[in-house]
Amino acid sequence: MKNSTKRLLVVLFAAFCIAPLALAQAPAAAPAAAPAATVAVPPPPPAPKPILDGDLAGTPVPSADARAKGDPDGSLTGNASDVTVSDPKKGLTIGDLANQVGQNKIAVNFVWTLITGYLVMFMQLGFALLESGLARAKNANHTMMMNMGVYGIGMFAYWLIGFAIQMGGVGAVANLGGTAPLSAEFTATIFGKPFGLFGQHGLFLMHKGTYDVGVMVLFLFQMVFMDTGATIPTGAAVERWKFSAFIVTSFLFAAFTYPLYANWAWGGGWLANLGTNFGLGKGYCDFAGSGVVHAVGGLSALAIAMILGPRIGKFSREGRPQVILAHDIVLVITGCLILAFGWFGFNPGSTLGASSNGNLRIGSIAVNTMLASATGMISAMLYMWFMYKKPDASMTGNGFLAGLVAITAPSGFVNPVGAVIIGFVAGVLVCLSVAFVERVLQVDDPVGAVSVHGTCGIWGVISVGLFADGKSNYGGAWNGVNGSVTGLFYGDASQLVAQLVGVATLVGFVFTLSFLFAFVVDLLVGQRTSAKSELEGLDLPEMGALAYPEFELKS
Amino acid sequence: MILVGILLTLLGFVISVLSLGVTSSVGGRLAMVLVGLAVSLFGIMGVLNKAYLKNAIWKKG
Repeated sequence: MKNSTKRLLVVLFAAFCIAPLALAQAPAAAPAAAPAATVAVPPPPPAPKPILDGDLAGTPVPSADARAKGDPDGSLTGNASDVTVSDPKKGLTIGDLANQVGQNKIAVNFVWTLITGYLVMFMQLGFALLESGLARAKNANHTMMMNMGVYGIGMFAYWLIGFAIQMGGVGAVANLGGTAPLSAEFTATIFGKPFGLFGQHGLFLMHKGTYDVGVMVLFLFQMVFMDTGATIPTGAAVERWKFSAFIVTSFLFAAFTYPLYANWAWGGGWLANLGTNFGLGKGYCDFAGSGVVHAVGGLSALAIAMILGPRIGKFSREGRPQVILAHDIVLVITGCLILAFGWFGFNPGSTLGASSNGNLRIGSIAVNTMLASATGMISAMLYMWFMYKKPDASMTGNGFLAGLVAITAPSGFVNPVGAVIIGFVAGVLVCLSVAFVERVLQVDDPVGAVSVHGTCGIWGVISVGLFADGKSNYGGAWNGVNGSVTGLFYGDASQLVAQLVGVATLVGFVFTLSFLFAFVVDLLVGQRTSAKSELEGLDLPEMGALAYPEFELKS
Repeated sequence: MILVGILLTLLGFVISVLSLGVTSSVGGRLAMVLVGLAVSLFGIMGVLNKAYLKNAIWKKG
């Protein structure tokens, strides 16, 4: 690279680092005290006249004749005649209107949550393409099958027991109206405080009244989140994971590992109550799952990758890492972009509604998501360009995802400048972490799952405790503590401690549980394929068919 | 060594949870949580992973 180009890049890089810091807003100063009142207080406004049922009697509605002629401009469709009337003799009443308004609110929230859930489900395709592209062609069928298989296996396990463990004690979720049957949390008393450990209602979505419209919406949304977490280890274990072991391990992840931590963070468990019980900020805050989804998946990926060991040929006899090339970078980038699209379901959808209780933050959450992905991509690209002389595509893609992973927890609590900084840090962090995992730990992680989801997931959790600006307001409280989530840089150090307790739980408990499950499966059925299968490629020995039968493959 | 690694990792978690009951100061809790994290990370990277690396596939004939 020419010196002038290098200098230009240095200047750009420095400007990029400094600009957000310069722009970062200091905590808002307290408003100046109001001067003493010297003018007469205006009279209070007259009390509003109550609306009576009789006032609705003359509400105009289009005649049947007019409707029969069609409504090409839409002016006749949707009017008072569409409001459900409880008693035709009385006609339209205020009570009917109030019920319709309530149902409309919940309907808006149902539709919002379902559609964003469908977007998250679409992320499975992104993961499948990303991981398959980064694997060698001789393992493409096996890798695609793992990504599809985890969807069905994970969902089944989650329906059986996982959802009940996670959400069985969450109580009524106001935005979804009807989740009251999820009302039994198992608690233990520790340090004189109730520690919620797991939920008890919701087995098979039938148990204890959970055959309920609101519960169904909550299940769908939470299920696709769990499945995102469950698919992360497949990336780290690609090209050497025995399919039968993958099935059992994924089942255990969806049934126990993920739901337990998710209960503690989102289901009314002890981490969520660190604020009410121990005065730590607003409790552990993870808006859309940097910790719950990504770090849990990333740490499970680390445990499984350690047990599996590296692919044959990944390290030389001296332990030096060797490059094993991705077979299709087009698939990799396509996968990254699909994931970024799905993230608009992941983060804004985590409000569980678009109506009331501060849910209009969805615009801010979506913008934060975009910004962090942009700066994650830029910083990873620049880092690779400086360090290795080329803007490596796969690491740029990983930086893109790292920014998204990192902003997932703070997306609902930070401002755009915070999002830019969080994403930028994540992009560099993922490059450093990939190098550390490969060169220092000598763990073979073919897609960088441990770094993208584990390391940057943890960074996302910590960043809530740093950058939350105290401006979000989801109904005036979070995790049962009045006020908005506020991080260290905006005046609340205790929020950072709550976040770090969550991180310690991820590293100390979730990793251990994942490791133990994977270890037992290894003892019972063996986690790794035979060396012969691995060298041949897993498509034929494990799946019985090649992904690309009409192409000659080089091993 | 695998068992030692797992126990150390879990011990780090226990230390972090203990911080909630042992002290009520933010600084004290922060220090204990960081110690717990360090113990867990040492258990994973310094003990457990090393135990697996002993029999790494590239070291076999």
